Amino acid sequence: MFDPMKPDRRTILKTGAAAFATGVVAAPLVLRAQPAAIKVGVLQPVTGALAHDGQQGRIGAELAIRDINAGGGIKSLGGAKLEMVFGDAKSTPEGGTQEVERMQGEGVVAVVGGYASAICLATTQAAARYDLPYVVDVGVSDQIVRRGLKNTFRIAPGFGTCATQALDNLVRINDAAGKPARTVVLIHEDGLFGSGLAKLLQTELPKRGFEVLETIAHPTPTRDMSNVALQIRAKRPDLVIPSSYYGEYVLLARTMQQQRIRPKAIYAVLNGAASNFRFVKEFPEAANLMMDCNHWHDPRNPKAIALRKEVEARGAFWTYNIPLNYSAMLFLADALERAKSTDRAAVIEALAASTFDGHIMPYGPTKFVDGTNTGAAPVNLQVQGNDIKVIYPDMFADGKPVFPMPA
Amino acid sequence: MSRVAAYLPIAAVVALAAVVPLVVTSNTVINFLVFTLIVAVAAQGWNLLGGYGGQYSFGHAAFFGTGAYVTALLQTQAGWNPWATVLLGILAGAAVGAVIGFLSFRSGLRGSYFALITLAFAEVFRILANAAGITGGAAGVLIRLDVRPENFQFASRGTFFWVGLAVVAIGLVLTRAIERSRFGAHLVAVRENEDAARALGVDPLRVKLLAITLSAGLTAASGGLYAQYFLFLDAGIAYGAWISVEALVAPIIGGIGTVFGPLVGAVVLQGLGHLTGHLAGEIPGISLVVFGALLILAVAFAPDGATGMAGRLWRRWRRPATPTTTPTATGGERC
Repeated sequence: MFDPMKPDRRTILKTGAAAFATGVVAAPLVLRAQPAAIKVGVLQPVTGALAHDGQQGRIGAELAIRDINAGGGIKSLGGAKLEMVFGDAKSTPEGGTQEVERMQGEGVVAVVGGYASAICLATTQAAARYDLPYVVDVGVSDQIVRRGLKNTFRIAPGFGTCATQALDNLVRINDAAGKPARTVVLIHEDGLFGSGLAKLLQTELPKRGFEVLETIAHPTPTRDMSNVALQIRAKRPDLVIPSSYYGEYVLLARTMQQQRIRPKAIYAVLNGAASNFRFVKEFPEAANLMMDCNHWHDPRNPKAIALRKEVEARGAFWTYNIPLNYSAMLFLADALERAKSTDRAAVIEALAASTFDGHIMPYGPTKFVDGTNTGAAPVNLQVQGNDIKVIYPDMFADGKPVFPMPA
Repeated sequence: MSRVAAYLPIAAVVALAAVVPLVVTSNTVINFLVFTLIVAVAAQGWNLLGGYGGQYSFGHAAFFGTGAYVTALLQTQAGWNPWATVLLGILAGAAVGAVIGFLSFRSGLRGSYFALITLAFAEVFRILANAAGITGGAAGVLIRLDVRPENFQFASRGTFFWVGLAVVAIGLVLTRAIERSRFGAHLVAVRENEDAARALGVDPLRVKLLAITLSAGLTAASGGLYAQYFLFLDAGIAYGAWISVEALVAPIIGGIGTVFGPLVGAVVLQGLGHLTGHLAGEIPGISLVVFGALLILAVAFAPDGATGMAGRLWRRWRRPATPTTTPTATGGERC
């Protein structure tokens, strides 16, 4: 029997459909109140030969995104949050390119990272095809910024700047100590970084009053450094300048320690180990008083100090990749803030015009000339006790150079 | 098999693949497929010498790298047109193949000795390229981004897919033609029993030399494509062991000594690698573990490759209850 009070099946269906339709139509209104998240590509090699560096870089980028979002997101875009789209470059250029394509497909507003020069060279070009802004974290090869790519910005200093600074700082440290060092032996790995640096040092050191006694090349990997150490002993140089990757450098330092070879200083440039806490923790005696000219955070910056504490509390080693990627992400967020848009041309323009100084690196305000951050420079570091101190330039230093090393 | 029927499957596969860029709009997928095609070309090269000739090379990187470097250097240093430099790269790769082949085959190197000598050659090339000034040393060679079709750079990744597919098609046709030729028969004879082949009047040195030259040329084409697509080379990429392994594993997985084996193997391998990367999610490196496990399973359950297994399944499905199988239906049939 029909009961007017009891809704029949049709009424239920109609009401249901109407309610559903209202829900569907109204839903975007509700969603609109919360601005859509801005996707940011983070590209790092977390598998393969460069996995450790990639994982460190990723930590920096992740922590920066967390802090930016906790601080209210991008305010000029209604407090939009950043959302990480992570890509594993697999330590190869084609692996990186594949991930850039995926990020482009997912609609990221920019890419941050890259780490190795070879990955950066290939991936910045892949991103340039889509005018996708790309903030390079490390990538020391100066080719990266010399190709006229409008989308590419490197916040860290390149090879040329690092090498010149390293030489100038060496002269200053030596002069300040009363010029105890005059003779040098160069040790280098035979790849891009070691050979390039050795060639440069061979021509530049004599101009600055040093005598290069010997240049010794070794391949990567090398399993025995005894011969190299014996050659150093025979030459008795005041300074040893090694340019090698982590494993070889640790081996050399330990061999020199075992054979009691103590030059006045071991002065590394962009070295894989001399400013690495793993080396300091595992071989404190071999690492003690090594000097390095490298990327590092600003040790007087309270944000940098807090970040380092947090990372170490998590049980991770502190390396320069973390503050560099942290700063790179802040730099991008600042550009998004000023661009007031996620339009790529607007973001690129904002990046190019950046004078950002909220980073945690020992740099001046950001200033880009053809993709190179002219405000960036490396600093001189020295392992002292169980810590790594910035010893030069004075404006960023939290330690004094111990030079020459006590015999 | 008539001439038309022999090439019909190739035409069908290529036609089917050519439609992909029209259907698939995702550049991520196209990019992945282009890389797969580049690997497939290298694998086709390896398959000519290793699959049909039975000469297992562990150093096809020597040809891949030569093709890539010659292409890139003539373009960047001499300013030549990249279409021409790719062809010259192929010739240079083939020449390197002929020289390495002459040196090793004339000395009678076979089996693991041949494998080791090719590995050594590739390593020597890698070290030389890393040290030499002309290759840019360890800094590598960078081809400038300049998107123009006459410059071998295309606005759409789909166009490059077609170029890659065309090269794969040439590889397929070349392989089929060799398979059907007298030279192909000689090559297989040398693979099965070199002494018996010689007794029958086949000149093994000449046959193997021709095979390694063709094989090297095809793999060099793959190197040229790589250089033009990724626009960056260094010694580790060009002469690194990775491409030797890719070129070798793809035919083994797909079906060694078959026309479609290298292509199928490259698609399966790259596809698996890609898929496991997605399935495994965030944990770095876990995709490689899954990939390795799948590879072991594939080799364990399909020792004659993917095409061989497909053939076996096909025959089982067609003749489910026939007790007498034909003598050729052993699963190792070359298709």
